[in-house]
Amino acid sequence: MLGFTTAAYVVAAVLFILSLGGLSGQESAKRAVWYGIVGMGLAVFATLIGPGAGLWWLSILLIPAGGFIGYNLATRVQMTQMPELVAAMHSLVGLAAVFVGFIAHIELGRVLAMDDTAKKALEGFAALLAKKDGVEIGILRVELFLGIFIGAVTFTGSVVAYGKLAGKLTSTATKLPGGHALNAVAAGLSLITLIWYCNTGGFFPLFLMTLAALFIGYHLIMGIGGADMPVVVSMLNSYSGWAAAAIGFSLGNDLLIVVGALVGSSGAILSYIMCKAMNRSFVSVILGGFGGTSGPQMEVEGEQVAIDADGVATALEEADSIVIIPGYGMAVAQAQQNVAELTRRLRARGKTVRFAIHPVAGRLPGHMNVLLAEAKVPYDIVMEMDEINDDFPETDVAIVIGSNDIVNPAAQDDPNSPIAGMPVLECWKAKQVFVSKRGQGTGYSGIENPLFFKENTRMFYGDAKASLDTLLTQIS
Amino acid sequence: MKIGTPKEIFEGEARVAMTPESARQLQKLGYDCAIETGAGAAAGFSDATYVDAGVEIIKTPAALWKSVDIVAKVRQPTTVELKRMTKGKTLISFFNPAGNEEGMELAKSKGANVIAMEMVPRISRAQKMDALSSMANIAGYRAVIEAGNNFGRFFTGQITAAGKVPPAKVLVVGAGVAGLAAVGTSTSLGAITLAFDVRPEVAEQVESMGAEFVYLDFEEEQADGASSGGYASVSSPEFREAQLAKFRELAPEVDIVITTALIPNREAPELWTEDMVASMKPGSVIVDLAAEKGGNCKLTVMDEKIVTDNGVTIIGYTDFPSRMAAQASTLYATNIRHMMTDLTPEKDGQINHDMEDDVIRGATVTFDKEITFPPPPPKIQAIAAKPKETVPELTAEEKRALEVAEFKQQTKNQVTLLAVGAALLLSVGLVAPPSFMQHFIVFVLAVFVGFQVIWNVAHSLHTPLMAVTNAISSIIILGALMQIGSGSFLVILLAALSVFMTGVNIFGGFLVTRRMLAMFQKS
Repeated sequence: MLGFTTAAYVVAAVLFILSLGGLSGQESAKRAVWYGIVGMGLAVFATLIGPGAGLWWLSILLIPAGGFIGYNLATRVQMTQMPELVAAMHSLVGLAAVFVGFIAHIELGRVLAMDDTAKKALEGFAALLAKKDGVEIGILRVELFLGIFIGAVTFTGSVVAYGKLAGKLTSTATKLPGGHALNAVAAGLSLITLIWYCNTGGFFPLFLMTLAALFIGYHLIMGIGGADMPVVVSMLNSYSGWAAAAIGFSLGNDLLIVVGALVGSSGAILSYIMCKAMNRSFVSVILGGFGGTSGPQMEVEGEQVAIDADGVATALEEADSIVIIPGYGMAVAQAQQNVAELTRRLRARGKTVRFAIHPVAGRLPGHMNVLLAEAKVPYDIVMEMDEINDDFPETDVAIVIGSNDIVNPAAQDDPNSPIAGMPVLECWKAKQVFVSKRGQGTGYSGIENPLFFKENTRMFYGDAKASLDTLLTQIS
Repeated sequence: MKIGTPKEIFEGEARVAMTPESARQLQKLGYDCAIETGAGAAAGFSDATYVDAGVEIIKTPAALWKSVDIVAKVRQPTTVELKRMTKGKTLISFFNPAGNEEGMELAKSKGANVIAMEMVPRISRAQKMDALSSMANIAGYRAVIEAGNNFGRFFTGQITAAGKVPPAKVLVVGAGVAGLAAVGTSTSLGAITLAFDVRPEVAEQVESMGAEFVYLDFEEEQADGASSGGYASVSSPEFREAQLAKFRELAPEVDIVITTALIPNREAPELWTEDMVASMKPGSVIVDLAAEKGGNCKLTVMDEKIVTDNGVTIIGYTDFPSRMAAQASTLYATNIRHMMTDLTPEKDGQINHDMEDDVIRGATVTFDKEITFPPPPPKIQAIAAKPKETVPELTAEEKRALEVAEFKQQTKNQVTLLAVGAALLLSVGLVAPPSFMQHFIVFVLAVFVGFQVIWNVAHSLHTPLMAVTNAISSIIILGALMQIGSGSFLVILLAALSVFMTGVNIFGGFLVTRRMLAMFQKS
């Protein structure tokens, strides 16, 4: 049976790679998910019938039970709550990694306590352990230690991220007194316990490290502001992968290693892409707060001029090309259906309507794409920043719905701005800009936005959904 | 306070600084108005119309200057007039401060506050009091009319039963306010109009008026007018040569030349030389609006009309606005009235001479026994337009070189990374046992494959990617499944919990991904 399991693992690994690779296009992505599902099914099946798996009836009972809850969650969740759901599910993976690590520790202790004859009688994972020599056991301890550490950080980190995204915790960056020093102390403690654990193999250092790791996860993510959540979520995603890989090492399971590495590298690349889109280094995001600025920010001159639905409707009536820039505000107000309806009506009149999506719009990478897709906005009119930025000067009307920092001209004009150098959507180059916004407040990063004061900008105050509702009555 | 306007004493000056209409507006600001008898007669405003507007008629200039607090007039005041000013009185007039040192000294010694209308800064807010512009507008219009008056043919081309008439060709040199007014008048009369200016940015304005802009084959970067408050500045000798060559080429073709080229506080540049005049057709007309500053053509005689030997008429009048006194007075009086509005923010008939205000500060030449000319530069720039930084177009070779350099850099980076990676791998291999190395190689390869695959993921699919990797990361279930059967109750419990949680994750993760992907659709 060992041969079959190994073969199944190879097939599963290939399927997982195809599953991720298939996400390069919308159409192939639909097929790609099936590859992933089949791969997962195959992997679980092969493990169940493979060597070393006991109590399979319990597993068969528990998987559907968990699956039932997962199914319900996934079908009930609103598309706008997607970021919270993903964060919440990461925490489960993290916790599972911690548990599996502990089990490995317990098993190791049990096997080492046995005499040679008893060891011979073992099978499965325990048998594998029994064969290891001193150096290998040392390596094993490091591996499972790492697995538990990363898993624990992922667990609390994801829980905090979930709380922030769901609005259950304050989304501003908060740190305990001591700040990063506390994190450093916790990390140092973990390092000491690692040495301690390798030498003694006792449970206590492992437990101590788990507490320290849980604290790091909590405190690290608490210190990161809501606007950086896309990076945090993909970073946690990456961590859950590395945790799985570390556990794979300690269990000697190649599929775990392969998949863990795939997930880990995918999350790392996503985080890198997000950071690049914000023109910030990964370290400065993780350490929380915006990077240092060298002087006072530019004063914003002028005033914000308001406009009502009539005015917007007239301008849209006359415009030929329209670009809509959605942001987190659209998600909060659940306005994507209205936006889609507006798009349909304008397109029916022969106007060119396109969407400009900034890489960090929303709270999750690609958040806006998903919301627009949910509202049945065709994906071929949804453009990336680089595709559309050059078209703004030829655009008659740009509509900004609930985004702020990603359309802030200060990023280009003001070297002292905290977001200086961040690539932004240059919507102010359009002939006219309408900004749908709740009130005169600043964006997530708390930076004044000179766009709102520009001569060709009109403010369309009010809840995005309500504003669009009134606008839709004007455009038939 | 009382505001009064004397009769202009300059010979031939027909304009008047107050009209019945402007007097009514001034009274709304709380001022009493007075005018010297007959002051408006030359511009067509009789004393009776002033009386109707509630203006007091004063018989003599002496009485008027004595009784009013503010004097509004048109022409630069004479010494006699200035001597009538006393402390605290305000004079609003053209003053020519740059060439009127004595006048300023005298006003200063008398303690009079003088506002010079030509010093109103050229900013948007002050346009309503920009008397130079309103007078230049009239001059431009009138220049074309005077030219037509002395030109023996139609402006517009006609084909009649009595034969074909070619259209007149008009060249306007200097596209300032006067030039543009001339261009507008000339095109609306039907002439073919060419216009030239040293500031290339006015080409658009010229073309918008229906004339053709004369471009020079000249490469030099021209300082645009924005840096000098919207006025032209002195050009380089090379540029001047190119310009004259162009004019020489045009001279035999054009029928009417209207020159309006003036540089502030300088002699007018000579643009239309004698040889150009000589090459013009007989019957052609030159109107030199710069005659007062020496003329753009050296043959111009100030205030006179001459005819050259080859039959070219050169008009050097300097009083074009005065020749349209009714129109000019209306506009000028309105400029004055706007100035008074700015001086009377409270509308209480009291002057508030605010020296902090850019416009008022700029126009004031003497204040409180001080000469305040020349003014400091205005706080607001005339035209804020910053020249666009143009990214130089790269040539094909440069692009190629750049690409090659980039490629080399990339290769270098990659090789360095590979070398470091390989060295690390080898050093790990030296110490680690083979069982570990076997897994380690699988791990490194998987990371590598992951990097290769993920770079190609579409940006819009990042959320599904996260959802699917989240589902896939529940592969950790394998660890739990492998261990669930062995050992103590605690192991079973922990393993069971892990299996349960990852079960949630597997189903939830894949399902959410599918839901998301199902929504993406093509239009």
